[in-house]
Amino acid sequence: MNGDARMDRTDLMLLDALQDTIPLVPRPWAALASRTGVPEKEVLERLERMHDLGIVRAISPILDSHRLGLTATTLIALPVPVERIGEVAAIISGCPEVSHNFQRDSTYSVWFTLTAENEERLGEVLSGILGRTGIPEQNILNLPTVRKFKIDVRFSHVLNGRREEGHGPA
Amino acid sequence: MDPLDRCILGELEGGLPFVPEPFHDIGNRLGISGEEVIERLQRLQSDGVIRKFRARINQRLIGISANALVAWKVPDTGDGDAGPLLAAYPGVTHCYERARVPGRWEYSLYTVHHGYTREEVLDEVREISGETGIRDYVVLFSTKEFKRVPNVRMGENGRGTP
Repeated sequence: MNGDARMDRTDLMLLDALQDTIPLVPRPWAALASRTGVPEKEVLERLERMHDLGIVRAISPILDSHRLGLTATTLIALPVPVERIGEVAAIISGCPEVSHNFQRDSTYSVWFTLTAENEERLGEVLSGILGRTGIPEQNILNLPTVRKFKIDVRFSHVLNGRREEGHGPA
Repeated sequence: MDPLDRCILGELEGGLPFVPEPFHDIGNRLGISGEEVIERLQRLQSDGVIRKFRARINQRLIGISANALVAWKVPDTGDGDAGPLLAAYPGVTHCYERARVPGRWEYSLYTVHHGYTREEVLDEVREISGETGIRDYVVLFSTKEFKRVPNVRMGENGRGTP
């Protein structure tokens, strides 16, 4: 499904502009307005509508986990048989240390990220998940982060490129 | 960071309000001025506590429904060069080096890609492979999203002392 019917080029332009850090000034929406040429009142109306539709989740600070004392992070892959995926995924998602939990096209069918204060706590959370799901530790992939080269630099490229060329989604 | 910084970040977790002076609004909730909210946020940003201040978007709702994690196998000595090389592609939103699992999973570099279609993402990955010469890779498309939240949430896990 795509949201084309509910989104126009101005909406996409605003979403694109909102991928950059918003200015820390008393009237940030007015700043966005002068940058995009969309009047402030209309910026607010469009943001409100896209928020109501669930397209804009929130405009909020993205925090550095390390600076907030969460120094240990890893990506875990589990080989879960298809019939157990829903049940296992629910157990994983229930942990506050889990931020992303996806099913992926692979024999390693469930992939999730864990973030915690330290390695010890990370190990405890993982053991807890494996214990409750009954998945043996020797079958999983535990892929701790070694270096970060790029963190969440968003898809303005995608928004821009495709739309400017006039290729809508199929 | 002091308790007031934490309160501000906590208030902002639900998002900047859609009113003409949103920082003033946040300040009102905490009994401080909008100027102080802005000053504190500027400091948190220059200290690196705030990486970015931007919109989180549900990309599936705007049609960007193909999401792939790609794991790349590079020679042991090549990681240092290949990481920045892969990260430089505009279509790559994340690029991490991760530990290998010797004998079972020799991939060490991971990129994340988004697109309107799988074909579009696969084209991009093939192009990167061709240009970088990294031939050994696996594309893992997501088929279901069970959870996606910021990895730091003040109310839940952001209480640690930096």
